[in-house]
Amino acid sequence: MPYHKFKCSECIPEREKHAVVKGPGEDITSALPLGYLNTIPGSISERGCAYCGAKHVIGTPMKDVIHMSHGPVGCTYDTWQTKRYISDNDNFQLKYTYATDMKEKHIIFGAEKLLKQNIIEAFKAFPSIKRMTLYQTCASALIGDDINAIAAEVMEEMPEVDIFVCNSPGFGGPSQSGGHHKINIAWINQKVGNVEPKITSDYVINYVGEYNIQGDQEVMVDYFKKMGIQVLSTFTGNGSYDDLRSMHRAHLNVLECARSAEYICNELKVRYGTPRLDIDGFGFEPMSASLRKVGLFFGIEDRAQAIIDEETAKWKPELEWYKERLKGKKVCLWPGGSKLWHWAHVIHDEMGLEVVSVYTKFGHQGDMEKGISRCEEGTLAIDDPNELEGLEAMEMLKPDIIFTGKRPGEVAKKIRVPYLNAHAYHNGPWKGYEGWVRFARDIYNAIYSPIHQLSLVDISKEEIPTETKFLTQKMISDMNLSEEVTSSKDLREYTGKYDIISELRGKTYPDFPAQKKLSAV
Amino acid sequence: MQCEVKNKERVGVINPILTCQPCGAQYASIGIKECIGIVHGGQGCVMFVRLLFSQHFKESFELASSSLHEDGAVFGATHRVEEAVDVLLMRYPHVKVIPIISTCSTEVIGDDIDGVVLKLNSGLLKEKYAGREVHLIPIHSPSFKGSMVSGYDVAVKDIVSHFAKKDKPNGKINLFTGWVNPGDVTALKHLLTEIQVDATVLFEIESFDSPLMPDGNSVSYGNTTIEDLTETADALGTIALNRYEGGQAAKYLENEFDIPTIIGPTPIGIRNTDIFLQNVKKITGKPIPASLVRERGIALDALTDLTHMFFADKKVAIYGNADLVIGLAEFCLDLEMKPVLLLLGDDNTSYPNDPRIKALQENVSFEMEVIMNADLWELENRIKNEGLELDLILGHSKGRFISIDYNIPMVRVGFPTYDRAGLYRHPVVGYAGATWLGEEIANTLFTDMEYKKNKEWVLNVW
Repeated sequence: MPYHKFKCSECIPEREKHAVVKGPGEDITSALPLGYLNTIPGSISERGCAYCGAKHVIGTPMKDVIHMSHGPVGCTYDTWQTKRYISDNDNFQLKYTYATDMKEKHIIFGAEKLLKQNIIEAFKAFPSIKRMTLYQTCASALIGDDINAIAAEVMEEMPEVDIFVCNSPGFGGPSQSGGHHKINIAWINQKVGNVEPKITSDYVINYVGEYNIQGDQEVMVDYFKKMGIQVLSTFTGNGSYDDLRSMHRAHLNVLECARSAEYICNELKVRYGTPRLDIDGFGFEPMSASLRKVGLFFGIEDRAQAIIDEETAKWKPELEWYKERLKGKKVCLWPGGSKLWHWAHVIHDEMGLEVVSVYTKFGHQGDMEKGISRCEEGTLAIDDPNELEGLEAMEMLKPDIIFTGKRPGEVAKKIRVPYLNAHAYHNGPWKGYEGWVRFARDIYNAIYSPIHQLSLVDISKEEIPTETKFLTQKMISDMNLSEEVTSSKDLREYTGKYDIISELRGKTYPDFPAQKKLSAV
Repeated sequence: MQCEVKNKERVGVINPILTCQPCGAQYASIGIKECIGIVHGGQGCVMFVRLLFSQHFKESFELASSSLHEDGAVFGATHRVEEAVDVLLMRYPHVKVIPIISTCSTEVIGDDIDGVVLKLNSGLLKEKYAGREVHLIPIHSPSFKGSMVSGYDVAVKDIVSHFAKKDKPNGKINLFTGWVNPGDVTALKHLLTEIQVDATVLFEIESFDSPLMPDGNSVSYGNTTIEDLTETADALGTIALNRYEGGQAAKYLENEFDIPTIIGPTPIGIRNTDIFLQNVKKITGKPIPASLVRERGIALDALTDLTHMFFADKKVAIYGNADLVIGLAEFCLDLEMKPVLLLLGDDNTSYPNDPRIKALQENVSFEMEVIMNADLWELENRIKNEGLELDLILGHSKGRFISIDYNIPMVRVGFPTYDRAGLYRHPVVGYAGATWLGEEIANTLFTDMEYKKNKEWVLNVW
């Protein structure tokens, strides 16, 4: 597995060990790119900061909370309305953001008084909200404001409110990942164990590392509820602040994104002995295996199997329709962290896609280990990619589609490669069985977009075909497919609605009477 | 007096209207050709601003970070700037201009970016890049002062003052557009072409609306050249459309090179466009041609169909950059509407002395509030808790949920407008902008009448 040298990075030798190509028969013991090291200044890396890792990625999906940043206004403005983590309380956390608006005089004389006024004002503006998370920024960290002390003071004066403090300034660590770690640890240190929950089931879990992008959490919780499992809390998508204070009472921590949230699971194991079970909601097989594992843990495999059977029967023919049409298409799988290993093998196995490259902006070597071992031969793996390397890789690999963020997606568009938003999704949710079909549908629509294909034509140089006045995705995708496939009665296109989440809210579930005495475990 | 001008009473910000200074400096940076700015601070200060630009324009722009990490925050990080400049120059051989943009963190720790520039000029650039034209421009834009508006203003001034150099008169005017969209630049250049005036437009950002080409073109950038910037000292005059966005640069050229200068008005609406043309005429001596009389007539014809029938007495709230908000308010008044609430998103102490605001105070006869240092909660709270009734909101996308949650029609205008397609392509300035704004407002009100079944039958015979 030789290191891959980018031409554009020959002048920065530090980059040499950040990219590898998986060779024949090789595994991660042959070579592994370096990871989670300081960024090279001026390289136009894709990384964000530790503040955004804490506040924007993990803190803000909590739905019933005032999310306040102690600093100048930019940090909070810039991380506001740039994600699609929805909630079932009318998206309070998406709509409102709060900054203490630190000015020059506060930098000189301190801003603790300003912070306290801010907290009181915010609770007054939203009298129904009694919970707050407070985030340090570069400015408030450097002047040394004691945010914890102010929070404690307010909580003493206003006993009805509760405030969480996260000290994760933007400069803390090579990327947003530093912030993930800090907020995980801060939450368990400050808040877990503070609230005693009402236990209503024999089977109680925390669902961890799940951010409810376009409703993923609600899809997954629907399965858990069908199995009679009580989801005590979700860390943090669509999660409730007080539920997350009672995490210590779960029987099991079911972990989705290990990159951003394994820290709290590991701590819950150490401090409360709660086991950690890693699951994966992306893809039919991983989804089924995950439900089976959870079922097995509680001895309710039959309930898991019932869901697996029903969902697979319903959605498999639709997934297969897309698989037939996506086979062999080349993908650059360029997400932020964990999706490179959540998706790499499954999109290959279940959709027939060829992953020609994986990258991670803020992942660690562990993420690359998992990602590379799940990739096919010849895959180019890049750690902390930068603008020019991304372009060089796309020119070299000529992918049919790229899964990445909004801005690099615009770059891909310009070199005529369609993109799907790996962080926020196009038309999600993408978790669960139906979600996975939606993902396949989005990939299909992107690759076979008639408009996108027109961008490949140079009307000044080529003869323009005059017969074709329009094309449909199907006319393009089915051109070379066999009759057997195109006229198959066993396969069908996606049949679901635009919004599949609203109807999950307020749904009723079968009653599984609790067997054991329901009290604190 | 009916028009009250005051500061927001709360100290904090709930849903900000503007972001911080480095964003403004970055917006200026991307307008220059062969230029990539380096933001000296944490990576988020760049990453999220690039995201914001790409949300608004659906394009990617190049900006680099010095990637301040913990060690730098403790021991100083000027060496990160040195490394960033070197890495950028090595890998982007076309780059000639590098603004070095400070942030709150690097200003608090006191990193001397001016000193680094001196050091690089006499060291690295001489030794390693001898013969290559490279301009390093320090721009101080700490986030705890002003807003993206002042950051833009400071950056434009620093960039212009770096390059401007007297040679021989070039017969052009300098046109500082302020923080506008590609569509605005097109509209302004059109007016100048009609009046046969050659202008140096700062910045040439029409190319932000970049095409999808058969040969591929990966990023968007502005087209203002080093020559354009240098020549600003040779102009026959300067017009800065916006007082707070480019005004400082105009004043600098006036003081340093005695260039006749007119600041404002923002040419939003018919009247302000007329004044703009009058100002161009004053500086260049060129007459206003018949073609513009006709264009103006088309705009007036369109607006006359709308004003007293549909716009009269409609209550409007407007938020955003001060120059834009004031220009829109003036236009609304000409359209017979009542701009009852103006929210200026930062705390510039010159606002109360702005003659345009004073004119509102002297002449407006209905209840009107101008809130300085405002946030979006000033708007929402008045609607939710204080009984403010509105017919229309004019502002950018960050306030979209107020419109959605309280069922108030809203026309997206300003920056950013990511929740509507292609708005950056349409002007709000000039006669074309007046027409577009008027008709966009009308069609938005019409759609609202239909959804709410509020006299929707009126439109049967319009």
